[in-house]
Amino acid sequence: MEVKPRSWRDRGLQAATLPLTAVLMVFFLVPLGLTAVLSFQSTRYYRLVWTWDLDTWVDVFTHVHYWSIMAQTMTMAAACVALCVALGLPVAYAMAHRVSTLEHHITVLIVFAFLTDAVLKTFGWVLFLDRTGVLNGALDAVGLGPAATDILFTPSATLLGMVYNLLPYTIFTIYLSLVRIDRDLVLAAYDAGASKTRTFLEVTLPLARPGIFAGGVLVFVLSLGVFLEPKVMGGGTSPMAAELIRQSFETRVNWPLGAALTLVVITIGAVTLGLAALVLMRLSGRREATR
Amino acid sequence: MSDNTPIIDARGIDKFYDAHQALRNVSLTVGAGEFVALVGPSGCGKTSLLKILAGFEEASAGTLAIDGRSMIGVPSSQRPTRMVFQKLALFPHKTVGDNIAFPLKLARTDRAETDRRVREIMGLMHLSEAYRDRYPAQLSGGEQQRVALARSMISNPSVLLLDEPLSALDVKLKKSLQAEIKRLHRSVGTSFVHVTHDLEEAMMLADRICVMRAGRILQIGTPSDIYYRPSGTFVAGFIGETNLIAVDLERRGSAHAFANGAIRCAAPEIAAQQIADGLSPGRAALMIRPEMIALESAEQEAGECTMEGTVDEFFIKGASIQYRVAVNGIADPVIAEVQGTATPPADVGERVRLGFALADVFILATE
Repeated sequence: MEVKPRSWRDRGLQAATLPLTAVLMVFFLVPLGLTAVLSFQSTRYYRLVWTWDLDTWVDVFTHVHYWSIMAQTMTMAAACVALCVALGLPVAYAMAHRVSTLEHHITVLIVFAFLTDAVLKTFGWVLFLDRTGVLNGALDAVGLGPAATDILFTPSATLLGMVYNLLPYTIFTIYLSLVRIDRDLVLAAYDAGASKTRTFLEVTLPLARPGIFAGGVLVFVLSLGVFLEPKVMGGGTSPMAAELIRQSFETRVNWPLGAALTLVVITIGAVTLGLAALVLMRLSGRREATR
Repeated sequence: MSDNTPIIDARGIDKFYDAHQALRNVSLTVGAGEFVALVGPSGCGKTSLLKILAGFEEASAGTLAIDGRSMIGVPSSQRPTRMVFQKLALFPHKTVGDNIAFPLKLARTDRAETDRRVREIMGLMHLSEAYRDRYPAQLSGGEQQRVALARSMISNPSVLLLDEPLSALDVKLKKSLQAEIKRLHRSVGTSFVHVTHDLEEAMMLADRICVMRAGRILQIGTPSDIYYRPSGTFVAGFIGETNLIAVDLERRGSAHAFANGAIRCAAPEIAAQQIADGLSPGRAALMIRPEMIALESAEQEAGECTMEGTVDEFFIKGASIQYRVAVNGIADPVIAEVQGTATPPADVGERVRLGFALADVFILATE
């Protein structure tokens, strides 16, 4: 009997995914649809009115304030991606090639840090960075004077918190793509006369690109939704999209506005993901093209 | 450099992996343009030796010179050697053209020269120009092999190291690539060191074969030396099927003679070159290749030496028929390979007489 590789066209596979599909439909697509519906209504005296108009959308597109927050969110997300890749790559490389005997211990440490509740870790940073916190205490002890640093409640602190919480995503994706690289390819480059640096640039880096890309996309999409770090570590000095949406729903009780802003962020995230998928497909597709 | 200066001169090489010793006092020289095959069972150290030649591993002891230059502490990127990897190790993200040109790119060769040499080597390896912009994954197994060979040969290395690159191919493709490698070797002046566990391949390709076992070199010699004058029973049994018959070797005046109750010879005297170096009289093994033994009918004149026995079984191998004959006084069945005929000359259970010429035997030490 011929065994065919399973594809999404396989009826049995379709049936097997039905429960999950149903759950996703009910708890993801329906709320998303409701959000879209909500964005075409209005509020008067803190009550939702079913107006079915574009007032909210006009509001969104004419207020520069919202877009400047969107732009700041994008900038923070981009900076976070750049930092996570820049910091994650050497860590992943070391885990894959330099510390083979400690590899599993390091993995466990990172997983522990990763699985610790983000709220806890973020407040930990507050204690560390506070004017009278651990960092300044230590700097004072070595003679740099009291309150040598004062970065808590600045956009830099927000970025620090984001990078701290999202870094494992890039470490693991890049690590996975690095360990998959055949060691012989590296030896072949040395054999052909390449230095270590050259081998890294010509062979290792290009072959790790899918992992770097995947990690970057994950971090970018997750960065769009952060609200804990801007609030706790940024102290409101760096308003980002998620906080703006929360305020629209909770503080201003303007649900249509919150819904519209939510859709804007989701669109930005989806477009980014789509573009990334396209680039990834082009990167790997041309190599694995069938004969 | 004079002509007899070896390209590779390895002396007294030891290699330890922690407590395990992979190579024991290995010495090997390879001449300019010579084709040497390293053969042996897996774990014999042949791949370790190749890695030391390539510079991927450092020898624990011993000296190594390539092209008259000591290679101790010289990284692989600085050595005049190129490796063809077992799994080829073509860069999947580079086109065929970029793969082949990679060593030239590293050597900062200008574009026109690179283009000319890529064209030339692709022509030599029978690779169509159209493949230049394809990716390795889009090529067949045989084409990928040719690309790997082209990449290794493009910068005219002094030594080409081949790490069983043909082991994963089917028989037909293997044969055609063996011919290709042989042709490539003839058309360039490069020395080839080829690791393989396929003896037929080694016999076909190499000028000299180096048989290894448990980290030691057992014998280095031409294919016919290895086949007809093995240094010991391991080499004799490793390369092709053979008969090893326990005999007593005795000195008769200036010549030697062997004795075994089951073998009748008119005058069992043999020449000195038919005895392994350094073998003294006493227990020894007589080696006779199956194709040197004839099956004789009663009326046919007997050979110089004869044995009588009963046919245990026979196999029709196509061009030849292999007989296994139980002979009283000889432990293992004697294997005789005779010319194939439509009707086998003898059936199972039949009494037969086996004959062979004295000139075809070789006496070696029992292990």
